[in-house]
Amino acid sequence: MSLETGTGAASDPAAAPEEAAEADSLGDLSEFDVSSLAYGAVGTTVFLALWQAAALAVGRTYLLPSPIEVATAFVVELTAPTTFTVPFVGASLPATRLTANLLQSLLHYLPGLVVGSVLGIALGVGMGWSGRLDDALTPVTRFLRPIPPLAWIVFAIVWIGIGHGGAAFIVGIGAFWINFYNAYAGVEGVSTHLREVAASLGVDDDLTMIRKVVLPAATPSIATGIRTSIGQCWMIVVAAELFGAPGVGFQIINAAQNLATDVSVAYMAVISLVFLVSDGAFRRVERRVLAWRD
Amino acid sequence: MAGLSEPSASEPRSDDAKVVVDGVGKVYESERQRVRALSGVDFTVDDGEFVCLVGPSGCGKTTLFRTIAGLEAATDGEIRLDGDPVTGPGTDRGMVFQEYGLFPWRTVRENVAFGLEEQGVPEPERSSRVGEMLGLVGLAEFADAYPKELSGGMKQRVGIARALAVDPEILLADEPFGSVDAQTRDMLHEELLRIWSETEKTVLFVTHDVEEAVKLSDRVVVMAADPGRVSEIVDVDLDRPRERTEPAFADYVDRIRTLIGE
Repeated sequence: MSLETGTGAASDPAAAPEEAAEADSLGDLSEFDVSSLAYGAVGTTVFLALWQAAALAVGRTYLLPSPIEVATAFVVELTAPTTFTVPFVGASLPATRLTANLLQSLLHYLPGLVVGSVLGIALGVGMGWSGRLDDALTPVTRFLRPIPPLAWIVFAIVWIGIGHGGAAFIVGIGAFWINFYNAYAGVEGVSTHLREVAASLGVDDDLTMIRKVVLPAATPSIATGIRTSIGQCWMIVVAAELFGAPGVGFQIINAAQNLATDVSVAYMAVISLVFLVSDGAFRRVERRVLAWRD
Repeated sequence: MAGLSEPSASEPRSDDAKVVVDGVGKVYESERQRVRALSGVDFTVDDGEFVCLVGPSGCGKTTLFRTIAGLEAATDGEIRLDGDPVTGPGTDRGMVFQEYGLFPWRTVRENVAFGLEEQGVPEPERSSRVGEMLGLVGLAEFADAYPKELSGGMKQRVGIARALAVDPEILLADEPFGSVDAQTRDMLHEELLRIWSETEKTVLFVTHDVEEAVKLSDRVVVMAADPGRVSEIVDVDLDRPRERTEPAFADYVDRIRTLIGE
């Protein structure tokens, strides 16, 4: 279709030069996309064919479910009716097994991600800005940082109990560190030059400097932290749910224990799809917000 | 133009000068060494005057610039602007830097508005002042562009507009055209001289380019290195516009180059 646009512009001698150039570059872009899409399709087909062949050779679904069995399980889970009970409110909503599990996961994923990110960014900005705070807290942050979020499950259990709260706690720890380091690096990397320029233009207090110079300049780095944690937190969700919190990750292990590995893989695919959608959505927002970037 | 009728450099200048650099010295001290960057620097800049600081690298001209800007404190002596000692950066000194220093997340318009926002200039006036400044530097059509979309010369014109927007007493420029090509530089020289005569601002301009100094300034403060000090102040007594090809222009350039030891 864009090829037609390109040809159309080229065959129309009256078209303004800029318009023609624009159409050409669009044409180039789509051609590139078409060829990479084609290669992608080939690669995917080969992968699925090899998987199907391997599954046929193994011959036992619980050892290796075929892509067709997984797709079937996915559709069954996506359509099997159930209800979803909204916590705190107590109301029951009609749902399907898949959407109900996904909502369960989101109930700890989202609060953990949001609270962990906000706290991590706040501490990162604080330590990146204030040398004294940095000196005071660096030993502690260096020591705590290498501990995998899941190790804190002990405290999730004894403080909160395993459930949405405990899982959100673990997710929050993961989001915290990722965002802490990106915000810290972003703030530390803000050029002295820009701060001097701002000072020469009348900025004479720390809060204004942070709000008008440091935060905007650190936004690309902070955004990278948020995007990374959006992905990493799904990994943590699955791990946290292995301990019994309801959701997609729990279904993966639960189905496997019943030898329904086709259902397990279907839920693995759910994680992947949700990640792709949320990452894609965030990238879109990032591109708009950071349109000024080189 | 304003500077030409001023008294010559040899006459003693009184304390009612716009800028007084009074016995300024600067020593950088670290654990291992002590480096004297400036020693006993004295000169003045009159109201409306265009003064260039030239000198070899390492003569401390950037240190002096930063001290006048209030970004660094002098070890000895002081700098006075309209009689008041400089103690830090402020909007009475508009600054233009070689690396532009534009805020990349702000459009051209928003960059120029930055200082006005800080001064609390309310909206209708702010926009009209920004529009006026963009008109002055000929960038009205690029008001909504981001810095990344501009050429080096355009970025520097935004830098000048932003510095002038807050109506400073003096414009301080540190090698502002050091990063643009020669042709653009010539154009920017013309533009800066036009802006200078339109706004009647005092300009202090640091450069290592002797021709640039002769082209632009009423007086050239020639500096020497080790330690950084003023070696001579040269009055440039040429009518504007000045052409590099004029013999008198070349004489000034040769004289200053000899002083620098080039």
